[in-house]
Amino acid sequence: MARTDFSGMGPEKNTTMKSFRLLSITAIILWGVLWDTGTAIATQSHGEPEGLVIHQIAHLFFMFSLGTLVYWLRARRLTTESGWRYIQYGAMLLIIWNLDAFSVHTLGEFIDILEVERHGSWDISIRAAEPYKLLEVVYYLIKLDHLFSVPAMLLLYLGLKRLAGEGEGEESNGSGV
Amino acid sequence: MTLSFIPILVVDLVGSVLMIVLSFLCLQFVHKLKAREPENLIWTYLWWVCIGLAGFSLSRSAGHILKQILILGGNAGTWRAISPYSGAVNTMMFVLVGSITLFFERVWVIHREILTDKSAIQTTRDELIYMNQNLEDLVAERTEKLVRSEHKYRRIFELSKDMIMVAGKDGRILDINPFGILLLGGGKEGDLTKRAMPSFFLRESDWERLIKTIQREGAVRSAEIDLKKADGTTIRSLVTGSLDKGPSESEDTVHFLIKDIESHHQMEQQMAQADKLASIGEFSAGIAHEINNPLGIILGYTQLMIREETKVSERYGDLETIEKHVRNCKTIVEDLLNFARSSRPQKKEVGVHEMIDDVVSFIQQHSRTGNITLEKDYDPVLPALVLDEKKIRQVFMNLIMNARHAVGDDGDIRLSTKFDAQSDRVLIRVADTGYGIEPKNLPRIFDPFFTTKPTGEGTGLGLSVSYGIIKSHGGEIEVDSKMGQGSVFTVILPVITDGEE
Repeated sequence: MARTDFSGMGPEKNTTMKSFRLLSITAIILWGVLWDTGTAIATQSHGEPEGLVIHQIAHLFFMFSLGTLVYWLRARRLTTESGWRYIQYGAMLLIIWNLDAFSVHTLGEFIDILEVERHGSWDISIRAAEPYKLLEVVYYLIKLDHLFSVPAMLLLYLGLKRLAGEGEGEESNGSGV
Repeated sequence: MTLSFIPILVVDLVGSVLMIVLSFLCLQFVHKLKAREPENLIWTYLWWVCIGLAGFSLSRSAGHILKQILILGGNAGTWRAISPYSGAVNTMMFVLVGSITLFFERVWVIHREILTDKSAIQTTRDELIYMNQNLEDLVAERTEKLVRSEHKYRRIFELSKDMIMVAGKDGRILDINPFGILLLGGGKEGDLTKRAMPSFFLRESDWERLIKTIQREGAVRSAEIDLKKADGTTIRSLVTGSLDKGPSESEDTVHFLIKDIESHHQMEQQMAQADKLASIGEFSAGIAHEINNPLGIILGYTQLMIREETKVSERYGDLETIEKHVRNCKTIVEDLLNFARSSRPQKKEVGVHEMIDDVVSFIQQHSRTGNITLEKDYDPVLPALVLDEKKIRQVFMNLIMNARHAVGDDGDIRLSTKFDAQSDRVLIRVADTGYGIEPKNLPRIFDPFFTTKPTGEGTGLGLSVSYGIIKSHGGEIEVDSKMGQGSVFTVILPVITDGEE
């Protein structure tokens, strides 16, 4: 099959470019490995913030999955059935809960704006520098994340009950369950 | 700012407990649903979602409860040691639940396909069960329907008053209905199926043209074709044919529907003939009226002049010649008027047989009959007819004289009568075994002054006058002639009583 060269270069120039790229990549890898011989060379180390980063990414992934679920429930018009509608609301609350938890981790552990400290067993101290004073109240409130997750789970339970009720008399109803 | 930790602690502890309880309630509920409908893929999907959520709730909530207990119990160090593991498990559970949740759309599509397939299988199964249970009845019902259908179409085929025929593309007759056999005069179906359809076409080029059209266009409609019957006679027909594609190309057949339009065609010809004669009659009557009066005056004056002359004078002889020719002219004019039916017939009740016998007797006395055999076949129940005896006598005189002339010195003349009670008509036939009438002359024999006799032997008015007389009696005159076999003239007269007249 004939190929058209859109680069405006001849075949010889293309070969030169490929060789140059290969050399560059090799050089970067060697530099990355040999720059600091103090750290491990064969395996990558997993320092303290990595767990938090993974946890935050997991929250984002969970939100994305729930968003996808809500999208398909609506795209397939399943939310006209009360069971799937409740499950949709539960998924939406779980998205909010994920945002809440993500924010708590970000404010409390990831960025250096708030200083949070337990005073004894019954008090908590939240301090923020100006102009982030408002974040002290916000942080205190978003620490109550179960206010979203528990209703979400309750809606999921109710949704399942509705689905079971709708599918009981008729094995294959409008929802197709 | 320093705030009370109690609300956070209470919401955290109570929420954690509720999360565990609710997630396991969901799990238990879906488990029941799954047990009830194990083949339902959606319950299986939700079962896995609930497992993920229960694991997530358990790992997170247990971690939170343990954290609060350890911190409140002054074992914060222990919690710091456990915390990374609790967090890691909790993160894994997010990923697990998220991964399962992502598959919802695919699971839903597969579930719908399963339901569709299940429904189709269920329907097929129900149908199979129904057919299995009712097979005998179904077969009987279907057989009865087939028999009824076969009978219906067989009756159409057999009772049709048009010819229905199935032929191969090469013209072989494969099947033909009884009317077709009758129409072609083939005797038995077997006799005909040995023959090819083109042999029944008067012109073989017609068959080639017809079959080419059918092959090209798939059908042909109402083609006017002359068919040749088994006895050699021809009939005019309307042929409709269509190509029937068999399961394989080699089995193509042509289905023909052939309508006999011979009688229709003859009727059209007769109507055209009647129209023509009526036109000639009107024309003749007009001329005859104009000539008749001057002829009467000439004849009158001639007769007056004859009276004044002595019989021996030359002038007397000249006047007699004038009188004779004027009388001839008057006879011709009267014949024309008879043909044109301008004078009203003087009718009275007449015995037809007696009248014919009188005519025959007159002819035998005044004409040489040689070796001519005269046969009579009279219907004994023939009723008396109300006729203008003089004119009808002239008709039979013409017909019998024509027959005598046709047979020459040796032949048969057959006179027959028949009463058709169904149509209430009398049929009188004059048949001869003479040389017949040429087909080209048949349409013209009733035209005035048409004659095939040599000049001087006939005026050509005999048949036209007869035609006019019979028409004026409400009757018909028909001719059937075959060259070399003779002619049959049939006079058909309606039976009319005195009262009806």
